[in-house]
Amino acid sequence: MLRFVLKRLLSLVATLAVASVVIFIAIEVVPGDPASYMLGLNAEPDTVQALRDELGLNASKITRYFQWVGGMVHGDFGTSYTYRTPVSAMIADRIGISLPLALYALLLSTVIAFPAGIIAATRRGSVADVSIMGATQLGVAIPNFWFAMLLVLFFSIQLRWFSAGGFPGWDEGFFAGVKALTLPAVALALPQASILARVMRSSLLDTLGEDFIRTARAKGLTTRQTLWRHALRNALIPVLTIIGLQFSFLLAGAIIIENVFFLPGLGRLIFQAISQRDLIVVESVVMLLVFAVVLVTFLVDVAYAVADPRLRAQR
Amino acid sequence: MTLLTVENLRLSIYDKPVLHDIDFQVSAGQTLGIIGESGSGKSLSALSIMQLLPHGSQVAGSIVFDGEDLLNKTEAQMCDIRGDDIGMVFQEPMTALNPVQTIGQQVAETVIVHQRVSRHESMQIAAQTLEHVELPNDEFPLSRYPHELSGGQRQRVVIAMAIALKPRLLIADEPTTALDVTTQAQVLDLLKRLTHEHNMGLILISHDLGVVADIADHMVIMRHGKVVDSGLTDAIFKELKHPYTQKLYEASGHVPQRVAVSSQAEILLKVDSVSRDYTLPRTGLFSAAKKFRAVNAVSFVIHRGENVGLVGESGCGKSTLARAILGLEKVQAGSISIDGEQVLADMQMPSSLRRKVQVVFQDPYGSFNPRHKVKRLVAEPFHLLENKPGAREYERTIAEVLESVGLASSDGDKYIHEFSGGQRQRIAIARALVIKPKLIVLDEPVSALDVSIRAQILDLLAALSDRYQLSYLFISHDLTVVRSVTDRVLVMKNGNIVEQGDTETVFSDPQHTYTKNLLSSVPVLPGEHH
Repeated sequence: MLRFVLKRLLSLVATLAVASVVIFIAIEVVPGDPASYMLGLNAEPDTVQALRDELGLNASKITRYFQWVGGMVHGDFGTSYTYRTPVSAMIADRIGISLPLALYALLLSTVIAFPAGIIAATRRGSVADVSIMGATQLGVAIPNFWFAMLLVLFFSIQLRWFSAGGFPGWDEGFFAGVKALTLPAVALALPQASILARVMRSSLLDTLGEDFIRTARAKGLTTRQTLWRHALRNALIPVLTIIGLQFSFLLAGAIIIENVFFLPGLGRLIFQAISQRDLIVVESVVMLLVFAVVLVTFLVDVAYAVADPRLRAQR
Repeated sequence: MTLLTVENLRLSIYDKPVLHDIDFQVSAGQTLGIIGESGSGKSLSALSIMQLLPHGSQVAGSIVFDGEDLLNKTEAQMCDIRGDDIGMVFQEPMTALNPVQTIGQQVAETVIVHQRVSRHESMQIAAQTLEHVELPNDEFPLSRYPHELSGGQRQRVVIAMAIALKPRLLIADEPTTALDVTTQAQVLDLLKRLTHEHNMGLILISHDLGVVADIADHMVIMRHGKVVDSGLTDAIFKELKHPYTQKLYEASGHVPQRVAVSSQAEILLKVDSVSRDYTLPRTGLFSAAKKFRAVNAVSFVIHRGENVGLVGESGCGKSTLARAILGLEKVQAGSISIDGEQVLADMQMPSSLRRKVQVVFQDPYGSFNPRHKVKRLVAEPFHLLENKPGAREYERTIAEVLESVGLASSDGDKYIHEFSGGQRQRIAIARALVIKPKLIVLDEPVSALDVSIRAQILDLLAALSDRYQLSYLFISHDLTVVRSVTDRVLVMKNGNIVEQGDTETVFSDPQHTYTKNLLSSVPVLPGEHH
């Protein structure tokens, strides 16, 4: 098991190294010079050149790559071209919203999807199954920003339970923060929960058709015992994959929802940075997201090995 | 003392009747064999006793176990009976165990769901039970996972789960069908011993007359959901009074008629000290990859028109050798010559040779693409030809080959799911025949088929061999079949051919201990004098 974890860790580091090179090259290829963008169209070439020097854009590409990577290792992500503030501070601010939002949405989607998928699978063909599957179909089909607007209309404007947007900051207390994130989290969780419930259902149905389920029943286990002791753990493996993918998406893919609710999250940060050619911010945020995705994949891999002894033996 | 009485058992699934007035009895300490071909309702009869029937099932009649009718029990009462009073063992040991739990947990679970015992006590009982089914604890600790065990060992674990609480009745549904002959013999011995020691009633369900004849006191023969014949095992085999029993008996020992091959026939296939290595996954990042030799310096020949058998237990290298002969994988040493043309080690087999060898696999359904018409499936080997047939010749060749295997030429427009198992195997043979090969590798071609269908396919193969001067390499773990259809036989063990010779000579006077061991494990039908 330890060996397995070490191997996975090694591949995690390798993936990050490759990703950093790819990101750096991709950003270099993108047209648009941050210095001339910052100074406007009528700037003198000398001024642009001076700013390029100041920003360190004139150093060789290889030097700049290693400066960038070396800085990141120490937690120094450089200074934003447009805001002139350290990128790490900007990211830290934003992640304080995006990470809790992603975790909150993931928690909601799991809490909804697991029971829904289990009920649908164990009562296949029943009214409950048909309604749950119908609901998930809707959940997948409805765009989450539209659903977000409906939530705002109903809960903020009609009932006045939640504010329609914005984030008071964690200084206002944990509860206030959670409250502000609730509607966006629900909007994000809906499609995720629908997908997860469908995966849970089909995976559980497959498992319930396995021979060892029949063996368990022949031992005298009730259907409920069979489900909890034998079916769920085996059905969980494909579900874990989806959860891992969803978390990565939730962390970075919430741009639209962040816009609907005026939340200063990572998605909005990267969106602004791209439109302002603030390449150092773009590089750093993308790298951070890659790190998150790779880390989640690593955790999912470890979770696989915990769930399934055959994987431990193989690698 | 009668333990179980099944009377007038009728079963319908979604209003379609599948069992009709089934009657049988089992006494303590006795073994009842239920024999039948696929679809005869033998497994459903067993599941009716356990009340583990599929959705939409309706049962009528009575199943009296120990004085009480199981059909009147609630689900909760049945849960108490299953595993405690009645145990059940299934066919597929590879999938019958939960892959994510240890064998100890799984055996102990039987105890935990029925008795108020601590975890520790249940584990102790599990350890004793595993010892009892001949899985010694020092070699097979409770912490083992199913994937670390072989098929035969897994079947012992399944048996241990079923007998952990010493049930009075054990139902074994095809318990040895997926196992090698030697393992089959050991598992049957174990079941025999357990019935005797615990004075347990045993219902043994099988399609194999030989297996049941070996250990059953009474027998029931089923067909199309009805009991067609029943009685004491000895009497049934002595009298063979029912025509279906007679038919089954004859089909089980069926020997197809063939023209003898002249001993002067030329050599078609020459396998000369062929070795086949597999690279094992690296254990560490920098350690050299280890090799596993699956086939070790094997030499033999097949003459034109000759049928040669290849027998051995699973994992002995039979299929690896077959893949090398088919040219699907390169060999690491030695050479293979087909029709005088030689392929050396590490060389790819040219298509001029590959078209001379074709193959038929065990699972006729799994080896076809279900979305293609039979016509297209049969035409697959055409890609090996240099001059592909034109449209008219294409149609004519397909029609001809379908007719030669006993199907209609119009069957080419159907899909594979429209055919029965036996017909699918005919289509697989047609596919192998379509480019007129010299040699066909038959990899367990009849293992998935019922005995009567098996007899028909064996007849067809024999007729085709005579007609086209075809040679066969007949790979099988079923020694009875190999004996009845082959001229010569190769016995393989751990990648080596340990014995080869004329089939009759090898079977009647085996030289190698392994061959002797293998042959003594074959279940023998009463009245047969092998």
